[in-house]
Amino acid sequence: MKFKNSIIGGVTLLAIAMMILMPILLPSITLATEILIFALAALACNLLLGYTGLLSFGQGIFFGGGAYTASLVMIHLDFGLLGALFAATVIGSLLAFFVGALAIRRTGIYFVMLTLAFSQMAYFLAYTFSDWTGGDNGLLDVPRPPLSLFGFVISDLDSVESFYLFVALIFALVFILARRIIQSPFGTTLVAIRENEGRASAVGFSTNYFKLVAFVISGAITGMAGALYAMLLNFAPLSNIELLMSENILIMTIIGGTSSLLGSLLGAGAIVLIGDLLSSIWPRWMMILGAALIAVVLFMPGGLWGGLEALYLKLTGKNKSTQSSSSEDKK
Amino acid sequence: MIRKYLKQSAIALSILSATGIVNADTDPVTIYGVKSLSGSFASYGKYADMGSKLAVEGYGEVLGQKPVYKVIDTEGNAGKAIRKVQEAINQEGAKYFNGSTLSSTALAIGKEVHKSDGVFITPAGADELTGVSCNASTFRWSVPTFGAIRETVKPLFKEHPDKKRWYTITPQYVFGEALLSNAKTVFDELGIEHVGNSYHSLQEQEFSGYLTNAMAAKPDVLLLLNFGSQSSNTLRQAINFGLKNQMTILVSWSSGLEQFQELGSDITENVYFGAQYWHTVDTPVNNELVTKVKNAYGITPNYPLAADYISTTLLLDAIAGAATTDTKKVISTLEGHSYEGPTGTETIRQADHQVLKNYYLLKGKTAAGMKDADDFAEIVSSGKSFPEESSLACKAI
Amino acid sequence: MNLYLFQALNGIGLGMIYFLISVGLTIIFGLLNFVNFAHGAFYLLGAYLSFSVVSITGNYWLALILAPIFIAFIALLCEKTLIKRVYHLPHTYQILVTLGVALIIQELCISIWGPIGKNISPPDSLKGVVQLGEFFYPQYRLFVIVFAAIVAFGVWILLDKTKFGALVRAGSEDAETLSLLGTHTHRLFSITFALGVGLAGLAGVLAAPIKGIHPFIGPEILGLAFFVVVIGGMGSFTGALVGGLLVGLVQSLMTTFWPQGASLMIYGAMAFVILLRPYGLFGRA
Repeated sequence: MKFKNSIIGGVTLLAIAMMILMPILLPSITLATEILIFALAALACNLLLGYTGLLSFGQGIFFGGGAYTASLVMIHLDFGLLGALFAATVIGSLLAFFVGALAIRRTGIYFVMLTLAFSQMAYFLAYTFSDWTGGDNGLLDVPRPPLSLFGFVISDLDSVESFYLFVALIFALVFILARRIIQSPFGTTLVAIRENEGRASAVGFSTNYFKLVAFVISGAITGMAGALYAMLLNFAPLSNIELLMSENILIMTIIGGTSSLLGSLLGAGAIVLIGDLLSSIWPRWMMILGAALIAVVLFMPGGLWGGLEALYLKLTGKNKSTQSSSSEDKK
Repeated sequence: MIRKYLKQSAIALSILSATGIVNADTDPVTIYGVKSLSGSFASYGKYADMGSKLAVEGYGEVLGQKPVYKVIDTEGNAGKAIRKVQEAINQEGAKYFNGSTLSSTALAIGKEVHKSDGVFITPAGADELTGVSCNASTFRWSVPTFGAIRETVKPLFKEHPDKKRWYTITPQYVFGEALLSNAKTVFDELGIEHVGNSYHSLQEQEFSGYLTNAMAAKPDVLLLLNFGSQSSNTLRQAINFGLKNQMTILVSWSSGLEQFQELGSDITENVYFGAQYWHTVDTPVNNELVTKVKNAYGITPNYPLAADYISTTLLLDAIAGAATTDTKKVISTLEGHSYEGPTGTETIRQADHQVLKNYYLLKGKTAAGMKDADDFAEIVSSGKSFPEESSLACKAI
Repeated sequence: MNLYLFQALNGIGLGMIYFLISVGLTIIFGLLNFVNFAHGAFYLLGAYLSFSVVSITGNYWLALILAPIFIAFIALLCEKTLIKRVYHLPHTYQILVTLGVALIIQELCISIWGPIGKNISPPDSLKGVVQLGEFFYPQYRLFVIVFAAIVAFGVWILLDKTKFGALVRAGSEDAETLSLLGTHTHRLFSITFALGVGLAGLAGVLAAPIKGIHPFIGPEILGLAFFVVVIGGMGSFTGALVGGLLVGLVQSLMTTFWPQGASLMIYGAMAFVILLRPYGLFGRA
């Protein structure tokens, strides 16, 4: 197998390179950390959207759910860092199992509406059970425990640099894992379902099973991202579970490019950066987001990654057809 | 493309910050304004930003240099706000923060700023800011629910002691509950009959059902304990349903001039409003502010503008007064500080860092009675109501 | 009059308003198989435009006529440039494109009219109330109910009894055959889209004196419209009517029994309906 397509080659190297460059090039490391966290969420969203063809407005449920879970187990049960992340991942996958099991019974617009309905219900539950979630005020004083293994404290993660490194490591691991999934038979089946569910089912795949597993994986990763976000901010606001959060994650996924996992990093980076750079100069900057969404769907279906890829091909004089077909889907 | 731009901007920024590090001692005093310029609360952020800008630009020198104002756009999102505040603290050594109208954001910023021993002064509404979540870094300019209720319900009842039956409409969450429990306490004190309450959710925009419940209870006064667009909608729908003719309506927590401009005098006439600030308050500082704002922006100052104007001025005054940017000294200068503010003489109470100031009961004027386009209301009463120091929920200061 | 009876009546009144808000959405979906996530944004634009007309001319009736026409015109422009490129794409893409359009419209509205909300009062002739026992019902809401009924009737006649309606319905079944038979299907689709969006704008004008005009009501209206349409059956005109009435009734009665749960009930009901009866009450397969 060509190195480019192995799980640590190709785009993985690019991703790692970007993660090394980001803290150097970007105005702040906390910004880079936020980008990575949302890139995780966008990656998980892309597993559903880009690879399985499911447009989910429910990612905020898992993101917020993960944030609340991690915060609560750290505050009330004295969980450590890894324990809290694990708990958030588990709860994220459970929530996704529940939402997915119900939502995948329908397809197309009805699937979308179901995820929307669940998202609103989750928001309602979150601010109603304010004794647990802090309601509208959110959960404050969320700790960031030190990273320790087998009793040895590796790092107390207090500094912005150390926390960035930690998040970057997690992102790299998840990225490699996701590539592994995409390139496995499971991954190809997901793509088959996206392309033509009827045929996939006719060939013998239990499409619902695959979709549900994709959901659970997506929920697990998103839950973990939410937990990391709570640790970054020492705060778990209600806005994590709002419909707007799901929308933002979707926008990042799409603008970054749904044909590649790297798109999630590009999309998250682009959206967060544009917001930061423009918002105090031009408060109406979200118009650009709207225009970008339209542009990507109509003219640049590969998103930012697709655009960069096309640019690269043009510059290096290579023709799309000279690229082996395997490199297309196995990113 | 983007990476190239980032590289250029980042290199530029690193050069600037490098020179910043070199010039650390002679850095001008910088006030960081946390404002919701984009996103759902853009209306507050715009004017809050104007207020802080006006304060900083009009200020002379502090510690030998003109002070600098930097704005942080929360994008209407508490999470974004915290990350940007963290960034400012870590990258630029930010110490002085002001702003944030959203309670959730303000509470979290208070905690974050406290971690680095900075100073944060906010007009946000949550009682917890100077209550259970108080800390040495956080100061609050606005009057919490205790005062908001007492300075509206009591004077209104005094003016109309025959109106003994009151109905409340309450948003069901922490803030609404706080207003309601204060209201109930005052009802007991005054012998007002609480004939009923309707809770509603945070996202509710259709109030006809709750107004129907109110109609059925036949109250003398309808007390609205919601705020923002919810109180505007409730009021608008109440007027539609003809309730103004059957009962007196009191909006206890109004956002001030903005709300009047949005609703128009048709709706607001003869309705009572509780407000943190009103532009016709006759004090030297307020008169000066109104003139300054007219000259600089051509508008009448509203609450977010006035609140952030005075909060920013307080920070600058305290730094100048303490003759240092050392936050501990500035905090002690602020504590107990008594000064002339837009609402008259205001004092920063040391025990909970709450500014003791007036809260106003306004009554909407008829269109004919308005002297100019913004003269929507007359001030019926004003006063200071704050819990006794002995019964404060704030223990951490 | 009994409290519950009045709440029920109020619910029906609300229901007619909700019908008006959702009928445009269901028409576009039913006839063009197009999911319009910009529905709430066009409603918003209609409301703001009517505000401008009222502030310039002081005449509400003028706004009622002009605003929807203007919105329909903008919809035509939108359709010719953007929407028609997306008809053939899966619903997912339609959602994303119209989401983008909605964002742009929302921010444009703030740029033009500012971030503070606006208000329109009902016209002077409709400012009073009608007494029903010990309760009062706004004349303006009665007017909206009647108007909504007229619109319902009008749209039904248009779709069911006119040649235009027949063509549109035929086009929704089989556009290719229809164009082979000589109809300009593109023009047909444009007009249908403009009609659906124009109805959204009309709803904006009518509901403005009740709900107010505020830059961020777009998503709320969109959600409401989708609930009604999903429950009633996407693409079904009758569904929008019955769905609207149901949602209005549930919401109104809930305020007496469990007010905080009103929203939850509605989302839950929508999920319930989709799971058990995906085509809603009246939707077709």
